[in-house]
Amino acid sequence: MRDQVSKEFKYSYWKYREASKVNKRKMLGLSMLIVAGFISVLFFAEWWFREEHINSLPLYLVLTFIFWWGIFRMVILWVSYIKITKPAPVPASEDLRVAIFTTSSPGEPLSMFEKTLEACAKITYPHTTYLLDDTRDPRFRETAEKHGAVWLELVGFPGAKAGKINAALQRTTEDFILVLDPDHIPFPNFLDEVLGFFKDKKVGYVQVAQAYYNQYRSFTARGAAEQTYGFYGPTQMALEGINCAVAIGANCTFRRKALESIGGHGIGLAEDMVTAIRIHSRGWRSVYNPVVVSRGLVPEDLGSFCKQQLKWARGVHEVLFAELPKLWKHLSGWQRLSYFTIGTYYSSGFTMFLFLIIPYLFLWFGWLPANMEFSSFVINWTPLAIFGLAIYLYVQNWLCHREEERGLHWRGMVLKFACWPVFLMGFVLAIFNRDIPYIPTAKQAVKGFTPFVRPLFLFAFLFLGTIIYILISRKFYTAEAGLFLTSGEIWGMVAFATIAFIMTIMGIYAAWESRNLSAEEPWKYIEVNKIDISGKHHKTKERKEVTSV
Amino acid sequence: MKTIFFRIFLVLTAIVVGIAIFMLISYAGDKSKGPFEDFLTSINLGIASMENDLVAREDRRSKDLEWFDRYRNSPAVLNTADTIFYGIYDDRSSTSFENIVRVEDSLDMHLPIISFYTAWGSKKEQQFPAIKAQAIYQLGSMPMITWEPWLDDFDPAEFPQIAQKMNNNEEGLQLISNGVFDPYIVKWALAAKKFRHPLFLRFGHEMNDPYRYPWGPHNNAPEDYIAAWKHVVTKFREVGASNVVWMWSPHIAYENAREYYPGHEYVDWIGLTTLNYGTVAPWSKWWTFDEVFEKGYNEFSQYDKPIMISEFGSLEVGGDRAQWYADALSSLPEQYPAVKALIYFHAAGDNTTTYKVLDWSFVDDEEVVEAIKSSIQK
Repeated sequence: MRDQVSKEFKYSYWKYREASKVNKRKMLGLSMLIVAGFISVLFFAEWWFREEHINSLPLYLVLTFIFWWGIFRMVILWVSYIKITKPAPVPASEDLRVAIFTTSSPGEPLSMFEKTLEACAKITYPHTTYLLDDTRDPRFRETAEKHGAVWLELVGFPGAKAGKINAALQRTTEDFILVLDPDHIPFPNFLDEVLGFFKDKKVGYVQVAQAYYNQYRSFTARGAAEQTYGFYGPTQMALEGINCAVAIGANCTFRRKALESIGGHGIGLAEDMVTAIRIHSRGWRSVYNPVVVSRGLVPEDLGSFCKQQLKWARGVHEVLFAELPKLWKHLSGWQRLSYFTIGTYYSSGFTMFLFLIIPYLFLWFGWLPANMEFSSFVINWTPLAIFGLAIYLYVQNWLCHREEERGLHWRGMVLKFACWPVFLMGFVLAIFNRDIPYIPTAKQAVKGFTPFVRPLFLFAFLFLGTIIYILISRKFYTAEAGLFLTSGEIWGMVAFATIAFIMTIMGIYAAWESRNLSAEEPWKYIEVNKIDISGKHHKTKERKEVTSV
Repeated sequence: MKTIFFRIFLVLTAIVVGIAIFMLISYAGDKSKGPFEDFLTSINLGIASMENDLVAREDRRSKDLEWFDRYRNSPAVLNTADTIFYGIYDDRSSTSFENIVRVEDSLDMHLPIISFYTAWGSKKEQQFPAIKAQAIYQLGSMPMITWEPWLDDFDPAEFPQIAQKMNNNEEGLQLISNGVFDPYIVKWALAAKKFRHPLFLRFGHEMNDPYRYPWGPHNNAPEDYIAAWKHVVTKFREVGASNVVWMWSPHIAYENAREYYPGHEYVDWIGLTTLNYGTVAPWSKWWTFDEVFEKGYNEFSQYDKPIMISEFGSLEVGGDRAQWYADALSSLPEQYPAVKALIYFHAAGDNTTTYKVLDWSFVDDEEVVEAIKSSIQK
C-alpha cells in the first residue's frame, strides 16, 4: 500500500494545481444528471412512503429518518452544485500590506517549522511572516529569525490558536492576514492567488484549497485525505457560488477590517467556522479559490484522526446550537441552509448508530421496521444510487488535483464509518453542553492502539456473538417446521449486518496499522526550492474564458 | 433576447435529457426485476436447503412420513391411491408450520398434504411459491396449491393488452384463454417444473358459485371456464411441467357444477368443498356431513377420478361439532370409497365469507380432537 517512491520528494504534489474551469457544456451535463437524480428521488419516495410498508410505526419512522435525512442532504448538495463557480482571477494590487500568521505550540517539531518558515520566506508577494509562539523554546525564535520572520512570544492566551491570533492582531497593523497552519508548506505564488479578490471592498476573506502531502503514509492518512477531496473541489466551489464558502482556518486570508468587525477571530473548537459565520453575518462576502498553493499534513493514525473529528464534531455542533440561531436573521437563505447542513454533518454518527442496530433488533428480538420486499427495495433504490454515484463522479471534474484525487474514495467511507462512535459522542456532548479537552491534532503518528477503536471492537464482538447465537439457535432450537421458511430472512439480515462488520474490520485494520507506523518526519523530503508553479503561467490565456454559469 | 432563448433551450435540454436517462435506467430496472427476483429466490432456496442439510435433525418429520414418499414422488402412484391422505390448511403458516405441527401432535398423526392459497398477479408473492413448496417437501409432505385467477393485480406495463380495461375480471377467463396472461402462466409453469416433485394444483376453484370469486358465473360463461382451464393445462404440458397434478374443484351446493367440467384428459383429481357453517349466518343452517357431501359425491364419483375433500370442516355454532367430525370421518371409507384425500380447513381467521371472522380451527377443542382421533381408522 505504501509506495516507496513517496519516501522522497514527490514532484506531482509540489506543483501548482487548480480545479478546471466551469463552462456551459459541463454544466449542461451536470444539470441532466441532477434532473435524473431528482426524478430518482421522487421515484424512490413514491415507493418508500406506502402504507403497506409500515410494520412497526416507530421503527418505520426511524428507518425513514435514517434514509431520508441522508437523501435530503444529498439533494441540497446537488442543488448547490448548479451554482458551482470558479472565480475569475484578479491580479493583486501592488503595495498591499500583508501578514502571515503561523502558530507554534509546545510539543510541535521544530524541524517542521524550518520548512514552513523557509517556504513562507519564498512567497513572492511582499509580506511579513509572524511566528506566534508559546513554546518558550529559544530555538523557535532562532528559526523564525533565520528565515526573516518576526517572532512574537504569546503565552497564556485562551483557545487553540485564536487567542494568539487575536493578540497578534493587536500588535500588528497589516490590512490582510493569512492564517497558515504550521504544517502547511505554502507555494511561492500563494498570496498572488488570493490578494486580488480583495479589490472588491465587500470581500472579508479568501479561502483556498487544503491539500496534503503525507497520504502515502497510511490507510488512515489516505482515507482522511479522500474525505476532503470533494469538499475542496466541487463542494466549496458550489458554496462559493452561493456566497457561503467556509473558512477553514488554515490557508484562509482575512481582511483585518472583517476580523475587527466581529471582535477578532472566533474562539472555540471550530474557531474557523465560528469566524466564517460571524463574518458572513456582518454582510461580508467570501471567496473560494480552488487552487493548490500549499500542502500540509493529514492525520496518519486513527487516534489522531478521531481526536480531530471529535473536536470538529463537538465544535461544529456548537456553531449549530449557539451561533446559527443567534445570527440567523443576518444570514442569507443559502447561508442558513449551508451552515445548517454543515452543522449537522456529524449527525451521521447518530443515523449510523440507528442503521447498525436494525439487523440486531431483528436477529435478537424479531423486530422488523418495514415490510419491504428486498428485491423491490433494490429495484426502486438503484436509480437513485446510480445517479447519486454518477453525480459524485461527474463533479470530480472540479477536483483541484484530478489525476490524484478522483475515485470512489472507499477508504474515506471506511474511515467515516469507523468514526460513527466519535461523531455520536460529539453530538451527545454538544446536546448536554459538555466540553472535551482541547486536543491538538498530532503532527506525527503516535504509536499504540487508540481508545477510539474500542467501540469498533465492541461492535465486532456483538456481530460475532450474534452469529454464534444464530448458529446455535438455528441448529438446536428453531422448530423444524419454521427452519426452511425463515432461512432467507435470517441469513439475509446476517448478510446485511456483515456489510457493517466488514467496514468495522477495515476500521480496526486502520487502527492496527496505526500502531505500527514508523515515526517519521514526512516534511524532511520536501525541497522548497523545487516547488513548481509553472502551471500558473500556462493557464494565463485560458483564464480569460473562465465564466460562472 | 437571443441569450434568453439559449438559456431556456439549455434548461429544457437538461430536463428532457435528464428525464430520458432516468427512463432508460428505470426501463432497465423493470426489465431486470423479474430475473433479479428469480435470482434472489434461487439464492434463498440454495441457502435454505444447505442450512436444512446442515441442521439435519434426528427426529425430523420427514422420517415419520417416509411411507408417503412413494406417493409424493410419483403422480401415477398418487392418482391410483389405495388409502386416504390427510392434509391441512392453516392460515397462520406464513413464516412457520409450527401451528400445523401442533395440530399433528394433538391428533397424534402426521399430515402428508399441506394446502395453501395463492393469487395471480405481477407481485413477487404472486409468482410460483417455490420456497413454501420446497419447505413443505423438506418436511416430508406434499404441497397443494389453490391458484386463484384474480386478474386485477397485473402490472399494466407488463401486460399492455389489459391497460385499457377497467375490470379485468369481467370476462376475464376469455383473456386467459386468449393468451393475454401466457407470459405469467409459462413463467409459473416453468418454476413449478423446476420444483420437480408432484404438487396438487387447484386452479380457479368454486367456479360455479355466483357469489364468491370473480372467475364465477357472474363474469364468465361455463365454456369460458373450460377454455381457460384447457389453455392453462396445455401451457403447463407444453413446458413439460408433468409433476403438476390438476385438481378441478367445484362448489357442490350448486347444481350446475358439471357444466364446468373440462374433461377427463385435463383433470387428475376432483376436489369437493365440504364446509358446515352451522348457524353463523342467516343463510346457513346446521347441515350434517352427508347432507353437504353425499349428493355431490354421488355425481362426481362417476367421473372415475380420485376425490379429495379439498376443504373439510365445521364451525361450532348450531350443533354438535365433535359429532359432525366423528360422523364424517367414520363414514368415509365405506360410504365414500372414492375419497382418497381430505384437507382439514383449519383457518382461525376466515374473513372471506361473512362480515365477521370465522374460526374453523379445532386444535384447542379437545372434544373435536378426540372425535377425530377415534374416528380415523389407521
